Amino acid sequence: MNEAEEKFGQVYFTILGAVALAFGAAELIASAGGGFTWGILDSSGATDPLFLPWRAIILLSVGFFYLSSVKDFAEVHQLAKAVMASIMIWIVAGMAIWTRIASSIPGEETWFNSLEGFLASYAPPYCPEMFLLPFSLVIVYYIMKEKEGEK
Amino acid sequence: MGHPNVGKSVFFNRLTGAKVFESNYPGTTVDFMKGWMRLGGEDVELIDVPGTFSLEPKDKAEEVAVKMLTENKDSVVVCVLDASKVERGLYLALEIIERGYPVVVALNMWDVAEDKNIRIDVEKLERILGVPVVPTTAISGEGFKELVSKLKEARPAKIEEIIERAGAGKEGGGESAAVSG
Amino acid sequence: MQVKKGVVKVPLSVDERWDLIEKITKQTVEFGAYKHTLKDAIAELTVKPLTGIPVAIAVLYGFWSFFCDFAGTLFTDGFMVKIFDEHWLPWLQSVFPGGLGDPLYALMVDAGHLENGVLVPSDNCFEAFGVLTSGLFVPFGVVLWAVLAFYLVFAFLEDIGYLPRLAVLVDTVLHKIGLHGYAIVPTFLSLGCNVPGVMATRVLETRKQRFLMITLLGIFIPCGAQIGIMQDLVPELMGWIFLTLAIGYLGFGYILNKIVPGESPEIIMDVPPYRMPALRNIARKLWIRTSRFLLVAVPFVLLGCLIVGLMYLTGAMDWLASVLGPLLMVWFGVPKEAVAPLIAGFLRKDLAVGVLGGLMERGVMTHFQVFTSVVLLSIYFPCLATFALMLKEENWKEFLGSLASLVVVVFVYGGLIHLVGLMLGVA
Repeated sequence: MNEAEEKFGQVYFTILGAVALAFGAAELIASAGGGFTWGILDSSGATDPLFLPWRAIILLSVGFFYLSSVKDFAEVHQLAKAVMASIMIWIVAGMAIWTRIASSIPGEETWFNSLEGFLASYAPPYCPEMFLLPFSLVIVYYIMKEKEGEK
Repeated sequence: MGHPNVGKSVFFNRLTGAKVFESNYPGTTVDFMKGWMRLGGEDVELIDVPGTFSLEPKDKAEEVAVKMLTENKDSVVVCVLDASKVERGLYLALEIIERGYPVVVALNMWDVAEDKNIRIDVEKLERILGVPVVPTTAISGEGFKELVSKLKEARPAKIEEIIERAGAGKEGGGESAAVSG
Repeated sequence: MQVKKGVVKVPLSVDERWDLIEKITKQTVEFGAYKHTLKDAIAELTVKPLTGIPVAIAVLYGFWSFFCDFAGTLFTDGFMVKIFDEHWLPWLQSVFPGGLGDPLYALMVDAGHLENGVLVPSDNCFEAFGVLTSGLFVPFGVVLWAVLAFYLVFAFLEDIGYLPRLAVLVDTVLHKIGLHGYAIVPTFLSLGCNVPGVMATRVLETRKQRFLMITLLGIFIPCGAQIGIMQDLVPELMGWIFLTLAIGYLGFGYILNKIVPGESPEIIMDVPPYRMPALRNIARKLWIRTSRFLLVAVPFVLLGCLIVGLMYLTGAMDWLASVLGPLLMVWFGVPKEAVAPLIAGFLRKDLAVGVLGGLMERGVMTHFQVFTSVVLLSIYFPCLATFALMLKEENWKEFLGSLASLVVVVFVYGGLIHLVGLMLGVA
């Protein structure tokens, strides 16, 4: 990656890391009371009370990973931390999406869900990880750059 | 035979069409497995054994491997080596050669070795060992045809001759005397 | 060139062999310059504790979420419960000859239960407890999907190469209980089914390690079938159940390691490179493992239903319950009704939790009693199939040792849970 790209990456992932940290902290604090709901941001709704702190810890780690990667961002071991953080977001957000898919197909009383019911399953609010998901995808660009460099 | 996690089970499945577990970690196979393959119009029995580092077994799975070897005195042994860690694999291969088994060496994980920038002179290795050596990538099936065709060429090799040839390749020669003690 | 023939001793000594190898490789192998790639850097991150532990936490989160939604939400609650409770059970109740109160009907379809002295029919397949209702619902309605989901993720983690890294990561912790980090593989496998888990202990080096591992697996690791049913019945308790079992696993492992003589040497383990998993391989493993599992499980569940049903019918269950009831009540704080699931548990754990579910639906047990019973079920006798394999893999002395540990653990740990419950005021 060139210097401009490195600079951008540093700024970008500092912000993303800070946001992840904030979300994680909020989730951890709120987990005592069963999560928080704030507009379209929602972290409640897990059946198991231990699910929330679990997710909060992951989110906090994601934040730390991003923040610790920005120094000397172009170096492969540093970049790897940002990649790993993104993968962790993909795991958690991917599972949140999977939960919605799994519950959208069967209906309440009928075999299959109605179209409205199916679509309603995908409406907000979303959990913090899902908000981070699109922003974490920026890392793909850097992975491709790095792969080019390896050749 | 070969070390743990070099791809023996992948070979076995490819060659026999059988269904043995393949996983990307050491110790997938803990028991032996028999299967059949066609070789030049005949059915040949093939045995998949657990991985082992040497012929002095250290755990129960390795015991199984060594037992299978000693029980099948007249069989051809396919030695599967991790091409990116040739030295360790050769140790086991030499042990088997010393015991007088006809051997074919498969340098598996050739792709990984290439990734790691390791280059192996296959012809020379073949000359030194005196047994067929085939580079393979079991996952994608590269090198399998050659391996099967070389099975018939498997032969026992004399360890003295290997030492001789290994020494001979060196400049100045006379090295082999050092091993004779 | 002069070479002395016939002076080489066969077999060579270890040093001679290595000398020879060095000579051969010097001539044939060339190591090119090697730069760390992104893949290597990531591989490194996943084994270093500081970064590896958070990654492991995330991976396990993914594993568990996928498992719950695939098995519970989508298949079991989404379709299977509807099929079995709304169609299969009412249909059988209407066409099966005999009707409520008839012995054959009770065995095959629905034993019913007493409500204010009146025998009423069951409205779900956990309670009905007939061979054709619960006997089919447990394996095909719940367990099949749980096992499928488990093995799917497991095969993926296996083939991508994550498992051995997890092993390196937990090596330090497991060493404290006399096990090598590699023990994580049999442990994980056991979460699917204890049978292949016990088989996988063969890679451990000493008899002591194998004994420790088999004993701990048999006692503390619930299988996928059991987890599937528990997740369906008491999802809100799962975290606590796993925590309790994990504490037991580590705690008793530590004690056993101190008591059992023998050595627990290091094993040097290879960490394979990360690889893109081949879909074909995953699909094949999934198919083999699931079908093997069904082959073992289904006959046992059916048999278990039959035996428990017969024991109820003949009054043997009531007799046992009244005999063992006081002991259970005083020691573990569970009611005498828990005898039935404990007996079913010897045949199949999943079936046993199913019986518990039936009791719970009727409100016979409190939340904490259900929790205690579920944990007790996990730690007490392994299912018959595992039991048979333990007999085969261990010698007599070890087998008796495993059994003794099991009995001690059930009483001590079960009693401890009761005690903690009493102190917290929830029992």
